[in-house]
Amino acid sequence: MRSERYIPYLLILPSVVFLLFLFAWPLLEALLLSVRDSGGQWTLENFRRMAADLYFPDALKYTLLLTLVIVPLQVVMALGMALLLGGISRGRDLFLYVWTIPLGISDLAAGIVWLSIFTERGYLNSFLQGIGLIQQPQLWLSYETPWMIFVAVVAAEVWRATAIVFVILVAGLQLIPKEYSEAAEVFGATPWQRFWKVTLPLLMPSLQVALILRTILALEVFAVVVALGGRNLPVLAGEAYYWYNAYQNPGVAAAYAVIILGISVVATLLYLRLMRSKQEGAA
Amino acid sequence: MASIRVENIEKTFGKFKALSGVSLEVRDQEFVVLLGPSGCGKTTLLRIIAGLEQADKGRVWIGDRDVTELPPRARKIAMVFQNYAVFPHLTVFENIAFGLRMQKASPEKLKANVERAAALMHIENLLERYPAQLSGGQRQRVAVARALAVEPEVLLMDEPLSNLDALLRLEMRAELKRLLAESRTTTLYVTHDQVEAMSLADRIAVMNAGRVVQYDQPMKVYQEPANTFVGGFIGSPPMNFLRLPVEGRQAKIESLTLDLPTPVSGPEVLLGVRPEDLEAHTVQQPQTFPAEVLVVEPLGPHLLLTLSFGKQHIKATVPPNFEVRAGQTLWLRPQPDRLRWLDPSSGQALMMR
Repeated sequence: MRSERYIPYLLILPSVVFLLFLFAWPLLEALLLSVRDSGGQWTLENFRRMAADLYFPDALKYTLLLTLVIVPLQVVMALGMALLLGGISRGRDLFLYVWTIPLGISDLAAGIVWLSIFTERGYLNSFLQGIGLIQQPQLWLSYETPWMIFVAVVAAEVWRATAIVFVILVAGLQLIPKEYSEAAEVFGATPWQRFWKVTLPLLMPSLQVALILRTILALEVFAVVVALGGRNLPVLAGEAYYWYNAYQNPGVAAAYAVIILGISVVATLLYLRLMRSKQEGAA
Repeated sequence: MASIRVENIEKTFGKFKALSGVSLEVRDQEFVVLLGPSGCGKTTLLRIIAGLEQADKGRVWIGDRDVTELPPRARKIAMVFQNYAVFPHLTVFENIAFGLRMQKASPEKLKANVERAAALMHIENLLERYPAQLSGGQRQRVAVARALAVEPEVLLMDEPLSNLDALLRLEMRAELKRLLAESRTTTLYVTHDQVEAMSLADRIAVMNAGRVVQYDQPMKVYQEPANTFVGGFIGSPPMNFLRLPVEGRQAKIESLTLDLPTPVSGPEVLLGVRPEDLEAHTVQQPQTFPAEVLVVEPLGPHLLLTLSFGKQHIKATVPPNFEVRAGQTLWLRPQPDRLRWLDPSSGQALMMR
């Protein structure tokens, strides 16, 4: 019996080593990188340079704005889709698979798909010309119209990443026994009341997971933005990339990474705090 | 308060015929139990009355309202579910108040009804708790209190005690009986437990394979089963069925001849007799027949004997102090006023007394 006690530890050891080596260590390295200069002295110079940079306020603004627009839009859409799916019995799997196709597309590819729509000789201009709304191709994604790039990024992100929220919520809905909804129905609740008073509260744990996951990923938005707008729509992850690659300055790049990490942690803690279910709160 | 009436209800799930033409009436203030083995359609019938399932054919009335087309919320019913379905995100108070909140009851009425229902179920001290902090028995009480709080016209219960352990079930059974006798709410109660049905019901509707096979008072159903299914399903151990040869207006068990209440056309007849209606003697007596004891099972209040009679087996119960061992021959006297005669091919009772 005694020799068996270490077996569980032995079994989780590889994954622990893996995580420490490829996540914890780089994380620590990035943190150290952001607060030390090239000589290894402690400094806040990297953060100072980041904050003073011309692109920083816009990058911060657009990253937060994109997150604030994309995440709620995705959650509302995914919730609607998940509830609709629950209402159909025949052909349910077909809808499920079609709706989750975007999960298999890389974010850069998604960006390029939408670029082919919005670019000067793209599908959108061809279509508008075809029906006679415009005479010549319109330049949509230019530095003069960052709001248009913003809209294109939102469209691409919603198209690409709503499916992951959808899948989480479908799984969550399936975990709710149908008796709760039936009990509410018998005791007089309308479909609308059933949704607000029963389904939504019971779906909270899944919503929490979906929100945390999507918010963190939205704060890291990069490839879609690069494909659609280059640096005309600066975002935090993009700036980290430019500072590391173009400016050869890992310190400032690390400072950007630490900022993203900080915002993600704050957002996660907020979700955990605000969406704490009452059962847990009382227990 | 209201009666429940269903007429010619039919329901098919895919290829499975769950209900084939069920008609049933529950009188105002009556407590009716739907009893049957799993898959007999009893829960489906209850769900059709609740409106959670749509019948393919037939109509449902509550009182004098035809509710067939109405959604559950418009039927003025309350229901207790098998797994309680107590909302985990609401306190006990809010759970009990749920139906009243949906009706937009006044705050005074809401508070009064919740407190009265909670007091009836002895859970006044749990009102602020969440279901996760309650035991199974307490959750069950919340589910019943939630149903009573809305003062429904009819109360539907779907195996409400089946998830409780044996001791708690016994306690809740007696409590439910007292409670519903007091509140006089028309109740339809589904169970597969024949003891529960016997103990609670004003009338039992025994169901099998999508039909009501007998609908009568508990003791009638027990003593005068309509067919071999009812006799075998109700009672533990079940009723004995002995295949006996017929001579004129009499059936023969060895030396014993029994008068038949009605002429029988076939060469054989089925005698239904309950194990406790066989009086055992160690020596031959008038009006007895011999059988050999195969097994003796001491069960506490009585001994359960398995005997062989020709090629047929028969169960009999005798007092616990009765001296008997396997291999012995006993003489059994069937209580003449407790015999049930059935047709051996159809299994139906020959006549209703």
